[in-house]
Amino acid sequence: MMLEVDGLTKYFDTPSGRVHSVDGVSFTVSKGETLGLVGESGCGKSTTARTIIRLYDPDGGRIIFGGHDITHATQRKLLPFRRRMQMIFQDPYASLNPRMTAGEIIREPMIIHSIPKDEHTDRVSHLLKLVGLNSEQAGRYPHEFSGGQRQRIGIARALAAEPEMLICDEPISALDVSIQAQIVNMLEDLQESLGLTYLFIAHDLSMVRHISTRVAVMYLGNIVELAGSDELYTRPLHPYTVSLLSSVPVPDPTAQRHIIPLKGEIPSAINPPSGCKFHTRCPKAKPECSQLRPELSDKGSGHFCSCPFV
Amino acid sequence: MSNVAIADEILRVDNLHTTFTTSAGEVKAVEGVSFTVRRGEVLGIAGESGSGKSATMLSVMGLLGEAGLVSYDRLDFMGESLTPESVKALRGDKIAMVFQDPMTSLNPVLSVGYQLEEALRRHHWQGNIHERVAEMMTKVGIVPAEERMRQYPHEFSGGQRQRLMIAMSILCNPELLIADEPTTALDVTVQAQILGLLREIRESSGMSMILITHDLGVIAGEADRVIVMYGGRVMEEGTAREIFKSPAHPYTRGLLRSVPKADGSRERLIPIEGQPPDLLNPPEGCPFVKRCPEAMRICLRRKPEASCISDTHKFSCWKGAM
Repeated sequence: MMLEVDGLTKYFDTPSGRVHSVDGVSFTVSKGETLGLVGESGCGKSTTARTIIRLYDPDGGRIIFGGHDITHATQRKLLPFRRRMQMIFQDPYASLNPRMTAGEIIREPMIIHSIPKDEHTDRVSHLLKLVGLNSEQAGRYPHEFSGGQRQRIGIARALAAEPEMLICDEPISALDVSIQAQIVNMLEDLQESLGLTYLFIAHDLSMVRHISTRVAVMYLGNIVELAGSDELYTRPLHPYTVSLLSSVPVPDPTAQRHIIPLKGEIPSAINPPSGCKFHTRCPKAKPECSQLRPELSDKGSGHFCSCPFV
Repeated sequence: MSNVAIADEILRVDNLHTTFTTSAGEVKAVEGVSFTVRRGEVLGIAGESGSGKSATMLSVMGLLGEAGLVSYDRLDFMGESLTPESVKALRGDKIAMVFQDPMTSLNPVLSVGYQLEEALRRHHWQGNIHERVAEMMTKVGIVPAEERMRQYPHEFSGGQRQRLMIAMSILCNPELLIADEPTTALDVTVQAQILGLLREIRESSGMSMILITHDLGVIAGEADRVIVMYGGRVMEEGTAREIFKSPAHPYTRGLLRSVPKADGSRERLIPIEGQPPDLLNPPEGCPFVKRCPEAMRICLRRKPEASCISDTHKFSCWKGAM
């Protein structure tokens, strides 16, 4: 097991009250697999990722990485784990320092993780080649690259520390359609050649299906469903997943679509609804849904769903 | 091309060119774009960043101001030639626009009711302005309208703000709605709500729509006809069925291959190799030549003319001319 997350919670206190961003999230990621994490804005998927990598301090639950509990590890103790677990960010413009060359950006994790200095130059050229750039480009600045090329630099930087796991937070959302496939194929190739494990966060549901082994669906800080990728997309159980998947537009004008619209707006994470948080918008809600405490349970062959009525 | 305006033709654009002058040089954002929109139809304009899809519509609407140099052979709205003055009067009235970002399209310090009423006052609405605003807000599902008119933009979610923008755009019963990435900033379930709302409005009013988006799924679901743009030029034009079922241009085909299959098969994606076009240094010939797997020598030197496959389907590629 690469990563175990158990009952993870993360709150943010704001002037208008406590935001329950991540409210008891549990899942595991096995070595070499890709766990997709999907959900709409504000569902807590990015906060989950940032808490796992300890950019935020968790308020509850446990994070076990490679068998070690890192939930409350100090920054100094975290350093070796940071080397093993790296992150790729959404915005290839904001996530690279404009005053550093591509080579300096990729070299920085090597300095932080005390990789011998005489190896740096060779490693930088190797990494640039690995992500489909060439070593002559090491001296260029971010603004000299396109969005897709910048995302490649961000990936090379993440790989510079030789991690076992990559947390990819919307790595393709800011890219053009024709470039997205380049990056997805590259991530798949790197996974195979380097044996990487991915936590892949995105809101493009068809791309998540394509790249993931298993997929977890989040709503208002909770995982409502988790199953194998094909299983989830062909046999969704939770009413939220059903509605979410029915809303995905498909590039086929003859496709028969039955959109199951959601009522109203997503409730505030400051005062989330009682019981099942989805009951206010659920097409199948029953009176008891506002009282019960939904828990993920196995509905058969590793298909977990938090709705007790399916 | 016929000189007679067809009765149900709402908009005709012939040979549009838009050039921006920047400190780094001249950018030809739109080069020889032509299209028509008929009554009640949805024309989808698909393209990636820098394809010229937004610049095309901003040029037609006269919204580029001093920034861009716009020229065309013909620009007609409902059979009448559009001038910079006439387009100003039609904007927000018979031609309405909805933009991508509902966060910045509303003034944060004015109540939404005031802003919607202002749109009607500006177009000298003959009737009860307050009632009309309440009616349209109710139509887009912002209820109770009387109460919500007094609220400010920050009190609405992203989806609700886009509903408000749609309410504002349809206040004057437009003939044509130009929607530029109207759902790109929204979540997929909210996107489905907004697209459904726009469909209802079209069905009840007969309004035409130009839908500009990079999202092929949205285009496939909504558009009757589609224009595919790349590097400022129209690469292919056809009915939605023609574009998605029998794409002819190597760019369109590449675009459709680079997204996961709708049936969920895990086949490896086939990306379009290379980088997006550099508009400051465009190739002499076809804008797609550097990324085209089927490029020939002539593609480097000369821009292809459009070749017809059917009455409705044409593409600009030297392969079509062979």
